[in-house]
Amino acid sequence: MTTISGTVVDAVGKPVRGARVYIAKAPGPVPDVAAVTGADGAFALGAGRAGAYEIACSSDSLGAASASVEVAAQGATVELRLGKR
Amino acid sequence: MATTSKQATKSNPDGPVSNQPKESAAVVRKAIFKPPFEGIDPKTVKPGAGGAEPVTGFKLRKEVAAEMDAVYRAPTQTALRDIAEASFGPPPPQAETVHGPDDRVKITTTSVYPWRAHASLLITAADNSQWIGTAWFIGPHTLATAGHVVYIKGSGVQGRDGWVKRIQVMPGRNGASLPYGSVTSTNFRSVTGWTNSSGGDENYDYGAIILPTQLGNTTGWFGLGVYSDADLLASVGNISGYPGDKPAGTQWYDARRIASVNARKVFYDIDTAGGQSGSAVYRIVNGQRFAFAVHAYGGATTNSGTRIVTPVFNNLVAWKA
Repeated sequence: MTTISGTVVDAVGKPVRGARVYIAKAPGPVPDVAAVTGADGAFALGAGRAGAYEIACSSDSLGAASASVEVAAQGATVELRLGKR
Repeated sequence: MATTSKQATKSNPDGPVSNQPKESAAVVRKAIFKPPFEGIDPKTVKPGAGGAEPVTGFKLRKEVAAEMDAVYRAPTQTALRDIAEASFGPPPPQAETVHGPDDRVKITTTSVYPWRAHASLLITAADNSQWIGTAWFIGPHTLATAGHVVYIKGSGVQGRDGWVKRIQVMPGRNGASLPYGSVTSTNFRSVTGWTNSSGGDENYDYGAIILPTQLGNTTGWFGLGVYSDADLLASVGNISGYPGDKPAGTQWYDARRIASVNARKVFYDIDTAGGQSGSAVYRIVNGQRFAFAVHAYGGATTNSGTRIVTPVFNNLVAWKA
């Protein structure tokens, strides 16, 4: 099992608390859960296998964002930026 | 947090386990159906025609017979793979939980049955990370959900795997409105086929949340049914839950024909998103709602849930006692 970790930030790079982060596309079936970011905006989602993933997040106040990430055996890191700069 | 109780045996992957010490989870071996209950204050939506709920703005897709045959017929030789895989390996499937147009519609009348029997979950894992999910009442103090909602497997994060610390259960939630308040539970159930498997076996991904109150008497609950392949393939599957891609705590519904089944899983194109793990997959029979699977995964062209077969049914019935 590998991990996709990252941070949700706003337009100026400040961590976003309470954003919902989930896997939108994956190379195989994934649990249909969503992580909720804490004060540091951080999240870590389990990835069953290496490959191409799309990670998405949503915040009631700042909208939605997504990013594509190639996950290798050692995992991957991604930053999701919400809101307009 | 209590450790797994010892009553389950390794040879029986449906052996029930609990995070409660010395908890007995007797298996019931009797009926194949359990009826629903619509709550003490029976405000109920009358089911619509065609197996779907009569939700404003929702229209069940009407596939022509030929399309249905091509799209929804379960393969008869599922074990056979494309010969190209022998040379090139398996194709890279793409898992996405919304397939094609997003047909989900928002439920606004969440204090009416069946919507109030669905609950929004805020899950606090062993490492204090937080997650959202969905569960549904099956009895006065019991909600069914996915195994990975109550017992995390294969996260790859140190200190996260295992029984979650607590789950805040919010039945009939509609955004900031909690028509039935919220109840926090630390009492969970799953089975060894999930908890003891390496990385988590999808075939046994089901569990339950036990509440310290009898809130289900107010909200009502879903019936349970064990159905044949033919019954399921002729059914419309209904899912309502709390996805993370929509405004926080809002309930969304979709329905579509069941695509295929196997011995332990049900596959469908019903649109979902992260946060809907644990939702009921149910059908309407003679005006009553009967769950036949627990939604758990987003997949390549279909999403999937853990099928309620007899051992699953027996455990759910035991857990709702």
